[in-house]
Amino acid sequence: MSNYFKDWRLSGLLAVMLVAGLILAGCGGQQPGGTTGTPEKVTLNGAGASFPYPLYSKWFDEYKKKTNEAVTINYQSIGSGGGIKNITDKTVDFGASDAPMKDDQLQKAPGELFHIPTVMGAVVVTFNLEGVSTGLKMSPETVAGIFLGEIKKWNDPKLTSINPGVQLPDKDIVVVHRSDGSGTTNIFTDYLSSVSPAWKEKVGKGTSVEWPAGVGAKGNEGVSGQVKQTPGGVGYVELAYAVENKLPYAFIQNKDGKFVEPTIESTTAAAAAAAASMPADMRVSIVNPPGADSYPISGYTYLLVYKNQDDQTKGKALVDFLWWAVHDGEKFARDLLYAPLPDNVVKLAENKIKQINYQGKQLLQQ
Amino acid sequence: MDRMYLRRARNLVMSVMCMASAVVVIIPLVMILFYVAADGLRAINWGFFTNLPKPVGETGGGMANAIAGTFTMVTLATGLSLPVGLMAGIYLSEFGRGRLREAVRFLTDVLNGVPSIITGIFVYVLVVVAMGRYSALAGSVALGIIMIPIITRSTEEMLRMVPKSLREASLALGATEQQTVVKIVLRSASGGIVTGVMLAVARAAGETAPVLFTALNNRYWNQGLDQPIASLAVFIYTYGISPFEDWHSQAWGAALVLVVMVLFLNITARLVVRARQGR
Repeated sequence: MSNYFKDWRLSGLLAVMLVAGLILAGCGGQQPGGTTGTPEKVTLNGAGASFPYPLYSKWFDEYKKKTNEAVTINYQSIGSGGGIKNITDKTVDFGASDAPMKDDQLQKAPGELFHIPTVMGAVVVTFNLEGVSTGLKMSPETVAGIFLGEIKKWNDPKLTSINPGVQLPDKDIVVVHRSDGSGTTNIFTDYLSSVSPAWKEKVGKGTSVEWPAGVGAKGNEGVSGQVKQTPGGVGYVELAYAVENKLPYAFIQNKDGKFVEPTIESTTAAAAAAAASMPADMRVSIVNPPGADSYPISGYTYLLVYKNQDDQTKGKALVDFLWWAVHDGEKFARDLLYAPLPDNVVKLAENKIKQINYQGKQLLQQ
Repeated sequence: MDRMYLRRARNLVMSVMCMASAVVVIIPLVMILFYVAADGLRAINWGFFTNLPKPVGETGGGMANAIAGTFTMVTLATGLSLPVGLMAGIYLSEFGRGRLREAVRFLTDVLNGVPSIITGIFVYVLVVVAMGRYSALAGSVALGIIMIPIITRSTEEMLRMVPKSLREASLALGATEQQTVVKIVLRSASGGIVTGVMLAVARAAGETAPVLFTALNNRYWNQGLDQPIASLAVFIYTYGISPFEDWHSQAWGAALVLVVMVLFLNITARLVVRARQGR
């Protein structure tokens, strides 16, 4: 007997580990909100853009509360490129991207994908320069020059000439750009291509481009972190990331020649200027629009969902959430420095959400 | 005399250098433990073990889900890899013959050398895309694949260290080959085998790249083994590269928890083995 007992010690330890692991896994599922009578629990998984992540993580927490813990939405900020890849592979229930998918990308997807815009955000040029705070002015040529690696010092005449009174040091500029496929990069390079012929010719636009200068960092999180730790650093991030990290950012000269601060208002103004030309599928670029108050580098961010859903329960949860997001969800946007959708865009989004179906049956119930 | 003097001097120099190298080996470990403890302790409080992470930009929150997630995945990975690794190790040491054994041994070493991110991509294609979602299961498979060669090779090494005379004695007493392997060889090598398994567990617990591709991550509790799951390693990664101070300190906290978890497992395993061998 005792021999057997000894033999069991090792296997006993492993068995205990296994059981404990399973219990933990089991507990995990039930831990929050074990109330009875709640509707069936649904988990939706999504992944993609880091640009709207601060807002989305807030949304998913609020929405979980609102549905009495019935709907859990797990979102991972892996970059727009990853979001597009994952929704194409159908490894997630929805994707997210700030770069509208290209026609050939849409064709690769196994079903018809909708772009549902959620909010708009501004991409700001943020920097780390002792003694220089928000309000440093940059013209389109300057921004292009810096990111092309042609403007190498902070006291370059191109910067000093438009910033009288600002003490710019004789310091090297360290460009930080995204290393992952990024919708923020798409907006930023779209802007640079539209204002700088040199950029358009040498680099072009896209979710990932061949950067002529600088170091890479992953996600908006990574770029903000890198700029924060690098004296002389300059990078481009979503406005919320700069503000939350107390990083200064530049005022950019717009099409009308005015230097504009990136704010919710100036982003909304940009969207309003571009709203008239919104196509039905909502894949649109709003960089460098006209209008004295328009901030020139901004864009929509989208959730990517299949028109034909494979799973009724999940599909229903998804459309309910989308409806909530473009209506009630918008009121969280301002606090986190995103611009809510203009009314005409909400109408277009509603129209799309209504078309989402399971085996031909509309999933949204009003 | 001169020669003797030279020899002694050389002896001294080499001894000192060896000792100095030994100290150099320890320094990084001590520094890692020191930094992790110093920065990690500040982030750790009761809520760290019981709360879920907060939305971006809000302070507080914990990593209860990540702790449970790492535990779940490593346990499952051990369950998947231990039988295979152990038996492959027994094969290599006890029963394997000729070319096949050499091939298995060589391929095990190759598998051991495959960068873990490659394993992640492999499992992504094989399991995640096929299943249609990221899952705790896929993460465990990836970790299991990483653990198998470690367990196999350490088991083999340990079994080969058992003296041949012991095997012969067992067989001479009329024990079958199976009885010899199970009751004599495995038994006397158990201490080393457990250590090998623990090394594999520790390695798996700290892996980030393969988990990132397979289990994704989860801000909430895992909802089942076929759903994405949080893990400490991925949290350390995402929080570490974030720009938020609060997240940095939480990443240190998670690192400390991970180190303590692995240390605790190691010590438990050793105690169990010692208790067994004591009798």
